[in-house]
Amino acid sequence: MSSSGIVFSIIAICAILGGLMMITLKKVMHMTVAMILTYFSIAALYVLLTAEFVAVAQVLVYSGGITILMVFGIMLTYHKAENRDEEKVSSFRKLITFLSVATLGIVSYFLVAPVDFVAEEIFVGDHTKAIGEILYTNYIIPFELVSILLLVALIGAVLLAKKDKEEANE
Amino acid sequence: MDALNTYFNSYTIVGVFLVIGILLPLVAWGIGALVQPHEPNEEKEKTYESGLDPFHEATVKFHVRYYHIAILFVIFDVETIFLYPWAVAYDKLGLFALIEMLIFVTLLLIGLLYAWKKKVLKWM
Repeated sequence: MSSSGIVFSIIAICAILGGLMMITLKKVMHMTVAMILTYFSIAALYVLLTAEFVAVAQVLVYSGGITILMVFGIMLTYHKAENRDEEKVSSFRKLITFLSVATLGIVSYFLVAPVDFVAEEIFVGDHTKAIGEILYTNYIIPFELVSILLLVALIGAVLLAKKDKEEANE
Repeated sequence: MDALNTYFNSYTIVGVFLVIGILLPLVAWGIGALVQPHEPNEEKEKTYESGLDPFHEATVKFHVRYYHIAILFVIFDVETIFLYPWAVAYDKLGLFALIEMLIFVTLLLIGLLYAWKKKVLKWM
């Protein structure tokens, strides 16, 4: 295995580990920290593909912004992880789950294995500049649509959260 | 291929930094746990050994206005991401991209004005 293959395996294992911890941990805050691990691993994968700008954006928006948003979301609601009743899952159900996950794994392996990925020429250099040149000439309409999307998200969030407060005051 | 090697070699320092960052607390706590005597008692296990006894619960509900500020932050965070490549490639883009960016910023400014009008920015 090549050295980049080894690095990729380590990062991929970190990403999957973060995801697994996210669903198995009991406390919501710990889940969020596990999620940050996954986000950082994905950023590392982008670095491995020499997409530095995307990696920085991933760290800035996901590891920074989205996580903070989730932490506030958690703090707004009330959680009692310790008192949560453990649901008894029957062994039959566990077996069924294991079989379906295993089937999915085998099927996707046989689907992916024969695909021959052609190695693209890797672009090393000033990615930010390259993205800027393409985005603001060829893809100007999608870029403007993004601003509308952000505006809709902003107004929607304000409207939803604000409405609840006014009703609470009445 | 040479440029790619230079690229990966320049990330070696990041790897070294990561390893040191992980090892430092592990070694510090590990040696601490090995060396220190382990004699727990009730007084020692209190949250604050001196001072007030803790009361109430740690998981208090935050006010919704923190969420407003957080969502405003995320949206303008994404806007900043779009400003970076524009600023870097500004020399080659010229006036057309400047106007496009002004439209982009104005649209988000409308959102900010709406939030302002809705008294989201007011801390009361």
